[in-house]
Amino acid sequence: MTESEGNTVTENDVDELLELLWTLKERNVDFVDEVLRISEQKNPESIINFMEKEGLVKIEDGRIFLTKKGDVMAKSIIRRHRLAEVLLLQAFELRVEDIHTEACKFEHVLSPEVTRSVCTFLGHPPTCPHGNPIPRGECCSRFKKEMRPLVLSLTDLTPGESGRIVFIAPKEHRRLDKLSSFGVIPGSVIKLRQKTPSFIIKVGETDLAIDADIAKEIYVKKA
Amino acid sequence: MHQHEKEVLRTKKKIAIIGNPNVGKSVIFGLLTGKYVMVSNYPGTTVEVSVGHASFDKELGIIDTPGINNLLPMSEDEKVTRDILLTEDLNGVVQVVDAKNLNRGLLITLQLCEMGLPFVLDLNMGDEARSRGVYVDSKRLEEILGVDVIETVATSRKGIRKLVKSIPDAKESRFSFRYSDEIEDGAAEIITLLPDARISKRSLALMLLSGDESLKPWLDALDEGTVNKIDEIHHKVQASYSQPLNYVITKTRLEEVQKIIRQIESTEKRESSSVLESLGTWSVHPVGGIPILMAVLFFTYVFVGVFGAGTLVDFFEGVVFNEYINPASKSIVEHLIPYKIVQDFLVGDYGVITMALTYSLAIILPIVGTFFIAFGILEDSGYLPRLAVMVNRVFKTLGLNGKAVLPIILGFGCVTMATLTARTLETKKERIIVTLLLALGIPCSAQLGVTLGLLGGLSVKALVIWICSVVATLFVVGYLASKLMPGESFDFIMELPPIRMPHLSNILVKTVSRVEWYLKEAVPLFILGTIVLFTLDIMGLLTSIETLASPLIVGLLGLPVEATQAFLIGFLRRDYGAAGLFAIASAGLMDTTQIVVSVVTITLFVPCIANLFIIIKERGLKTAVGMVAFIFPFAFIVGGFLNFALRYLEVIL
Repeated sequence: MTESEGNTVTENDVDELLELLWTLKERNVDFVDEVLRISEQKNPESIINFMEKEGLVKIEDGRIFLTKKGDVMAKSIIRRHRLAEVLLLQAFELRVEDIHTEACKFEHVLSPEVTRSVCTFLGHPPTCPHGNPIPRGECCSRFKKEMRPLVLSLTDLTPGESGRIVFIAPKEHRRLDKLSSFGVIPGSVIKLRQKTPSFIIKVGETDLAIDADIAKEIYVKKA
Repeated sequence: MHQHEKEVLRTKKKIAIIGNPNVGKSVIFGLLTGKYVMVSNYPGTTVEVSVGHASFDKELGIIDTPGINNLLPMSEDEKVTRDILLTEDLNGVVQVVDAKNLNRGLLITLQLCEMGLPFVLDLNMGDEARSRGVYVDSKRLEEILGVDVIETVATSRKGIRKLVKSIPDAKESRFSFRYSDEIEDGAAEIITLLPDARISKRSLALMLLSGDESLKPWLDALDEGTVNKIDEIHHKVQASYSQPLNYVITKTRLEEVQKIIRQIESTEKRESSSVLESLGTWSVHPVGGIPILMAVLFFTYVFVGVFGAGTLVDFFEGVVFNEYINPASKSIVEHLIPYKIVQDFLVGDYGVITMALTYSLAIILPIVGTFFIAFGILEDSGYLPRLAVMVNRVFKTLGLNGKAVLPIILGFGCVTMATLTARTLETKKERIIVTLLLALGIPCSAQLGVTLGLLGGLSVKALVIWICSVVATLFVVGYLASKLMPGESFDFIMELPPIRMPHLSNILVKTVSRVEWYLKEAVPLFILGTIVLFTLDIMGLLTSIETLASPLIVGLLGLPVEATQAFLIGFLRRDYGAAGLFAIASAGLMDTTQIVVSVVTITLFVPCIANLFIIIKERGLKTAVGMVAFIFPFAFIVGGFLNFALRYLEVIL
């Protein structure tokens, strides 16, 4: 350990590791060994030591946990990262393969104000392009429609309008399966035919009637 | 049906016809076999698998499978079709694809390619596609897939001869594509663990990676260690994705499908829409849809309720049975069989001929017969799913979705038949709620006729109180049942097929096969019910039940003791119960309040005995007992409450 203490731990290092811990938490992985193995950083041990000293993480029985303070920080990094991914994909139309690396740069520079604007601009998306949940921010709960969001829920379209599906955020995965068999997946263009008495959407040449609460989970970018 | 199935299994060669719902599979099947079967627009009605012999090759058996949207099963139908591909020794498959809905068809095609099954692709409904400005390059598709692609328009028999010729040439497709490395690696690992099967190990491995639980019975053949290992691999691959693997896999397939479509499909904008298309749009319009809905319900009522339940029943019951068959069989039986008990068994008050057959053939058959015709027209025209769209919101409060409207409507014809059709609903919870509501408060046509006659003679107010009491009870019970019962509520995702002009011959054939179904499934239960009654009667149990029940009738409901018999009879035949009340009322033994209370109670009270048997058969004994245990006291509580309320508030009827 002595040799690594010489290395200075930068803010970026901490951010990266917090990010890693959060994503591993989503997959229920919390073993220190596992974290060390997966981490792509140079000297993860020393970063973890540093973070423990700073009160960002706790280690018990070979498992690593985020403290309250660490959790807040990690959540905010993840939020910035994933919002950046949506932004890069939607607004700048980068390829999905490239957005992760680019977003890694964004996450360190986005200020709280800019993050809020990005989130509003995108219509407070619930998930990133990879389908992972984006931690909610204050602006999401307030959900003010001051800015016309780029990505809107299908329920916000006017009948007759079309949109390309950006993501689907279903409460139940069964819905995804069912919708996908009809060709309703991210990337397909759907046309909203009507909203009452049921939502009717047109995918290709297929008319589908769906419940409003399912329509709400389909996010589109107006075509 | 079963005999036929065995015959097909005995043929040396067989093929299966598969495809999405509403792409004309059954019409193709009819053309290939010369035997026509159910064709329908309503998802869920072709649950039965039809089989037949090829008209061009007697040695060849053909299986018509339920419509599917994916071979990773999400419904019973899809599972049946997948299992046919998985377990039947097929020489080939004919996949019917709707030319205007290539993406959905090709999603299945890619899975056939993976399975390594020899197949022919039937590109059907090219006429509909062209009228919508969709053009498909079938030659190019043939090159890509490496199997025959035949264009047909099944409804006008175009291309069928070519299709027949291509069937013996069905071959495996050489088309293949890759999933992400993680999935490919996982699949490769699973393949090493699998025994040989009728379909390719790669396709099985992908199904297992998808976490397809419906494969469980098939997995039972493997030893536990292997199953665990497969499970492990599944979890390992899943760990690299935030979305479920089956979705990731379907998505990859759809992306591949899009690549193919870009090479073979061209579209041009068509602004004008046909009359049928606008009718389709209007029929689900929030405002315009309502008059259409009303008109459809009205014509259905006139045809089924007035013509079927009135004119036809009067003829069959009043003339054919009561004037000819019953007197004739009575005198024959009385001449031939000297024993009184056997005579009664056949032609007595609760006789098999005089009650069971008269009831099931002279009264119910005309009603369900006309209903099936009306239903068939609605089905083939594509209106049924639109009807479901219109009523979806109302049904949601009952924990049901719009699809449940069908059994409920059928219930106004015959509750027993309606309970049978509840099996077309997708979740167990919905099936139970529908069965309960039918048994509780939907009066069948026979009962409805007598009830309306009775109340109509009283006052409009009486009629309104009856309707409101029953409807309110249905909503309260349905709402509570949907809240209290565990189980998933169903997602309303339903395809609306185009409005099409129904073909008379399709409807007739379909009606015949459904009437056949009724005769086989329901009539025996009417006979059984009658036998139970007969037994109760000769053992003198009917009178003892009457004695036991009368305090309830007199005390709680405030009705004359004579009404007890009407209630008891109501259990046997709903309309007899109502008719019994009618007789008591005509004799001046009940005041108007008593009439209303008794009619509401008997409407809610017990399903008829045949219905009870169907409930036991379809939902199981435990559920049936639970329902009866609920309905019996509940009907009396509502009746008692109404009695109290009307008297306390001194409502003058």
